[in-house]
Amino acid sequence: MSEFRWVGKAFPRIDGRDKATGVAKYVTDRVFPNMLWGAVLRSRYPHALIKGIYTSRAEASQGVVAVLTHKDVPGLNAFGIINQDQPVLCKDKVRYLGDSVALVLAESKECAYNALDLIEVDYEPLPVVSDMEDALQTDVKVHEKGNIIEHVRITKGDVEKGFREADLIVEETYYTPRQMHTFLETEGGVATIDEDGNITVFAGSQYPNRDIIQIARSLNYPMEKIRVIAHYIGGGFGGKDEITAQILLALGTLKTGRPVKIVWNREESLIAGQKRLPMKITLKTGVTKDGKLLANKARIIADNGPYTCLGSAIMKLAVEHASGPYYVPHTDLEGFSVYTNNCIGSAFRGFGATQATFAIECQLDLISKKLGIDPLELRLKNALRNHQSANLGHIPSPSVGIAETLETLKNHDLWKNKGYYLKTDRPYLKRGIGLACSHQGCGLGSFFPDYGAATIILLPGGKFTLKIGCPDIGQGNGTAFVMIASEVLCCNPEDIELEIGDTRSTPDSGSTSASRTTYTGGRAIIEAGNKMKANLFAEASRMLGVPPDSLELRPHCVAVKDSDLKVTYAEIAERLSKENRFLECYSRFDWPTADLEFKEALGLPHFIYSYISEMALVEVNVLTGEVSVLKAVVSPDAGRIINRQGLEGQAEGGTVMGMGYALMEEIRQVDGQYMNKDLSTYIIPTAQDAPEIETVPVEKYEVSGPFGAKGIGEAVCNPITPAVINAIKNALGISITKIPATPEDIYFMAKKEFDLLRS
Amino acid sequence: MEKVTVNFTLNGDHESITVNPNLTLLEVIRDVFGLTGTKEGCGHGECGACTVLLNGKAVNSCLVLISQVEGKEVTTIEGLSRDGSLDPLQASFIETGAIQCGYCTPGMILSAKSLLLKNGNPSDEEIKTAISGNLCRCTGYAKIIKAIKLAARNGKTKDAGGES
Repeated sequence: MSEFRWVGKAFPRIDGRDKATGVAKYVTDRVFPNMLWGAVLRSRYPHALIKGIYTSRAEASQGVVAVLTHKDVPGLNAFGIINQDQPVLCKDKVRYLGDSVALVLAESKECAYNALDLIEVDYEPLPVVSDMEDALQTDVKVHEKGNIIEHVRITKGDVEKGFREADLIVEETYYTPRQMHTFLETEGGVATIDEDGNITVFAGSQYPNRDIIQIARSLNYPMEKIRVIAHYIGGGFGGKDEITAQILLALGTLKTGRPVKIVWNREESLIAGQKRLPMKITLKTGVTKDGKLLANKARIIADNGPYTCLGSAIMKLAVEHASGPYYVPHTDLEGFSVYTNNCIGSAFRGFGATQATFAIECQLDLISKKLGIDPLELRLKNALRNHQSANLGHIPSPSVGIAETLETLKNHDLWKNKGYYLKTDRPYLKRGIGLACSHQGCGLGSFFPDYGAATIILLPGGKFTLKIGCPDIGQGNGTAFVMIASEVLCCNPEDIELEIGDTRSTPDSGSTSASRTTYTGGRAIIEAGNKMKANLFAEASRMLGVPPDSLELRPHCVAVKDSDLKVTYAEIAERLSKENRFLECYSRFDWPTADLEFKEALGLPHFIYSYISEMALVEVNVLTGEVSVLKAVVSPDAGRIINRQGLEGQAEGGTVMGMGYALMEEIRQVDGQYMNKDLSTYIIPTAQDAPEIETVPVEKYEVSGPFGAKGIGEAVCNPITPAVINAIKNALGISITKIPATPEDIYFMAKKEFDLLRS
Repeated sequence: MEKVTVNFTLNGDHESITVNPNLTLLEVIRDVFGLTGTKEGCGHGECGACTVLLNGKAVNSCLVLISQVEGKEVTTIEGLSRDGSLDPLQASFIETGAIQCGYCTPGMILSAKSLLLKNGNPSDEEIKTAISGNLCRCTGYAKIIKAIKLAARNGKTKDAGGES
């Protein structure tokens, strides 16, 4: 029997009923009396100077209450988590088609959008920087300071020595696309202001406590008069980590004194919203003839679009993950993050590790093919082990489970009986199996303060309130939090009332990002729960007249060990109430960090990683180039599992998202213009595309984690992309170095291969 | 703009509204009746988040002009669980973990409801086809398909009215 009452069980979501019945109010569902609608005028050009903005016709338009421009921004007209280089409302220059030039506030959505056409803007178009290599060379500057946002280079050992000792050196360049999060609820929310000037913003956000800093800075307004509530949210995946509509919402309500609603439509979300940034990754890898990796050199360029957002940090994570979860003695890893006039690149589940994983895992299959070594054995031979130095020369926390996840795949029926699964009954259908590994640094990395905090309050009747900042954007950290609290406090999840994602009522617990939330929040809850437990013991000791060390928790009560003598939580709460007292316990938890820090690459490296291996069975129709992913087997190492159902949900959702990245998803841009602008031309997988997915976890205990848990929200979408691509390569004997590998691409590549065979 | 009067049944209640004829059923459900369980994900019939039942059949309510519902029965997610008891689909979605962010959930459940009303024992392929117009970005669909099969097994999906 498990030592736990809740941890590790498959527990249904605490908010499932509200969501299944339509009761749950999402941030964009909120309405208030006398509410105005806001609509944003976007730029007409991807790169242009603004010579004048004329709003009088729009202001006179029916139903329009105000038209705001840069002149109306009271504080810093710029925002950004890393560099404040993105204007709230553009003044003299636009740098991509999603730039905000004016905000119309009107009595209805229709009036607001109609008035956009009446705003006249004089532009002087500038040459467009649309290629990331060009961005490094051109005289055209997206920002005054030049087009390089950040450049890092980190070496370990002596890479040239590694190449000299290598029996085989392979060099290849890989290209990854601009992927859209495609959360079903687009960016937006509602803001209100009361008679005392207190502003409340309901918004899709992954870190409301950071939003109030950015709002206050741009509004020149006291932070304590700003509240952000991020609940419920229809998906985030990183795309709601940086500011989207929050500052404009707050500005709108401040200027008009009325509630303001802004919801980006799908096209706006596609054009203006943040995306997974495209990368060009060149790898040179040296290996011995028996498959031991000796050296890896990487040059990475990331197309960040016009503003930094989190892009430079993402490039650095690509650098950190560029040699995969392997032991490589000599590395030389370099990255550039550049400005262009394309769509903004920012956080997206995987945060740079996804792009790096695609490159290194294709590279490993290339090595496997050239050396004639089984791809799984090649990876197993090089898999990082506890106490070995990782990519950047640091020693990660000893919960390195990559070898175990590979062993899991090796022992799986799909791998053992490959021959059976690869058979098809049609000559034009070709099957292949591919696999890949990945890892993902959890948390914000070295240097940056990374903490969680939680408050637990004993309620009348013996239940508890649990308060914690980091929002549940859909992935289920709220349910994991309640399970952890129930475990510590020996009660049922129904006895915990969760308050989450509200800067007024919940403690700052950091961002919902970076595979950090369950780990950080979980630890903070355990610490706060232990304080609550000590307090309950003290009260029970007084009430029962026994020493605290003779007590233990049993369901809903404190009991004397080896005795029936007990006092329930409800009785303790009642006693406290009579004495005009209550129990509230707060605790903060700070992340452990690595034994190494890079002054020239802040944030690197990470200390704790989740690990993952995945394999895919695909079937390719060579007549059409269509690929069906038939089955995926995923083996994640997320440490101890808190909620089995949540883990599977992450593994399945991440797999399908990564499959879309491999085969179909790309925002195509030419000269800063968008070639696809809606969900008919930007295609994500449907139920008909999704494979059968089996999740076989490895639980490598993380000593610092809550009950031994690590993060998993991001790693799950990394390995499937190269696993699918490697499977296609195996099926057809072709080379693929660029994703998405669309049916057209595959058809022509396969045709060329077969034409060659025939000739 | 000359207003139109439209009579229809919404979640079992007879309604008569006089509104601009350019309103969609989605706008009427959300803005006139305040039923926000029906979501807007794209406004172009591409994502399925706004799915409701029109005479028992799943439709994208963002593509239906309000005059088109004259004399018809509309069921939204709020109408599936009246009197506090859950529809078997709602129960199975909750139980199997078919819900994450939940924004696609109401539309997904109603597409599944439309299927089960005409086919109580659907195959996996029939389920996938029935929900192929409903995008979900969180779950990878596996648990959604499992939930629909479970609800079909549990049978007894309540009749949501209509022709079927």
